[in-house]
Amino acid sequence: MSPHPIFGRSTNGGRPLFSIITVLCLMIMYAPALYLLLASLNPDEQLGLVAPTRYSLTWYVALLDDHRLFMALEESAVVGLATAALATPVGLAAALAYRAMTRMRSIFLLVNLFTMLVPGTIEGLGLSAVLKFVHLSPSWITVTLGHLLWTLPFVTIVSLIGLLAVKPSTLAAARDLGAGPIRAFVDVTLPLMRGSLVSSFVFAFLLSLNEYARAYYLVGRQNTLPLYMFGAMNSGASPTIYAFSGAVLIASFVAVAMIFFRAARRKSDPSGISLALPKRTEQSKPREIISAP
Amino acid sequence: MPDTVAGRRRRAAFFLALPSLVMFIGIGFVPLALVAIWSLWSFDPDTYWIKPVWSLASYAALLKSGRADVLLQTAGLAALTATASTLLAVPAAAVIGLLSGRRPATLLLALFTIPFFTSGLVRAFAWRLVLGREGIINNVLIRLGLVDTPVEWLLFSDFAVVIGLVAAHLPLAIVPIVLAFARIESSVIRASQDLGAGFWTMFSSIVLPLIMPGVIAGFLFVFVVAIGTSMEIQLLGGASASSITIMINDVLRVVNFPLAFAIATVVTILLIVAIIVADRTLDLSRLFEDRGV
Repeated sequence: MSPHPIFGRSTNGGRPLFSIITVLCLMIMYAPALYLLLASLNPDEQLGLVAPTRYSLTWYVALLDDHRLFMALEESAVVGLATAALATPVGLAAALAYRAMTRMRSIFLLVNLFTMLVPGTIEGLGLSAVLKFVHLSPSWITVTLGHLLWTLPFVTIVSLIGLLAVKPSTLAAARDLGAGPIRAFVDVTLPLMRGSLVSSFVFAFLLSLNEYARAYYLVGRQNTLPLYMFGAMNSGASPTIYAFSGAVLIASFVAVAMIFFRAARRKSDPSGISLALPKRTEQSKPREIISAP
Repeated sequence: MPDTVAGRRRRAAFFLALPSLVMFIGIGFVPLALVAIWSLWSFDPDTYWIKPVWSLASYAALLKSGRADVLLQTAGLAALTATASTLLAVPAAAVIGLLSGRRPATLLLALFTIPFFTSGLVRAFAWRLVLGREGIINNVLIRLGLVDTPVEWLLFSDFAVVIGLVAAHLPLAIVPIVLAFARIESSVIRASQDLGAGFWTMFSSIVLPLIMPGVIAGFLFVFVVAIGTSMEIQLLGGASASSITIMINDVLRVVNFPLAFAIATVVTILLIVAIIVADRTLDLSRLFEDRGV
């Protein structure tokens, strides 16, 4: 990797200052969750950290007896899978449409991103009122509708960024070699976007799994996982709450981390994350030529 | 439509855009529009629902019993959260987009994005353990002899709410700013260095103006999403703390649908105005434009 122009140059204290702030940001994002995980390994009734030698999975084992938790988990899994299975192709189509559009592009993008910005409560309230009006009773289907609204903008963004890996010139080459639009899509676009489609699916599933505000208005008799957890968190602190909080956290974290690091290893098709970063090749050489006497 | 390349392209774009448009309009915009209309209907005591008798009573009620105050309070809280998040996000994004090699930059960006896909509920709840009377911060303060009794205002306070919100929303501020960094031509930075600019001169007079659209987009994202917040306030806020979302939930507990719809309508209209103004001035769609061939 060739370095960025700033590399190795004096920053007059900029680099240390910015690095400290970055570490601070990471700390407020990770430290509480980490503390919760360690506290959940404490076998005592009372809260707090214990020596690593006393770590125990007592409360995690106790979870296995929580029948209502598993019912909620099952409901959330059904909603999450349905949401992801619908959002991924629709988001991909939206991204392809954006690419093919010549006019109205920014309006289309705005329409696609808008629901991400409407408070979940308002979307949930509106949707539940409409469903009540058309006499559709709340169930996992209504929650899935609400979650489509929530996840689709993210999936579209992931697909848009993933689509940056499909260069128009590559597609033009395929077309020049006689491939029709569908053949070019199947043979060129899809393979190049496999990674971002997997990311789309996993992200949509996780966003749905952890969504609270819309589900609050749209659930039927069976609560989803976050609704059940919220109830448990506010009704006295049994240590099992820490255990299932910890379990949910670990499961989500491992899933996303796997996506990111798989993407980072395969340079050709990142989940979009590394494509969003500046390209830093061809930069150092011209500088040497310029500064040569 | 004549069967030209452009015509075929337009038709493809139309059909690809269709599924997402149907979804956004059908379960996104239509409910919001109906909510706006129904906010002008009256409460029906016979069915505990609404009846088509036009009235502005809900909007009058909106101005009574401190409801407007809650709107302003939530806006203030969201503005504070967005300001703090943006101030932290600019240096963090600079470390990612300017000061790191490609590998560490990818890793950092992944670290900042991953928590967004994990349970917000659990992460908010985790702050309770950190900030509580027997939390780690109070324990450390007491052990160091800095205080004699646990600091009470750490938890169930506006302080706790803001720190919880900032930790939850940082990714929304960082990602647009990183995208803005990616659009900076490195030759511009090199030129400023060749002309003898130090780090801070370069940062304030070259980099900052160039990333400004990303900074404003980041601020706006956090502000808009924080407006809809409820979890952090319910888990970390004081007993009297409220927000728009909590107010809507409370109003619905007494099944006053028209009033809930009125609150939702006012908030949605204000958000739409904010988003359109920002899009007009910033051209947000440029952040996803394909660069290069």
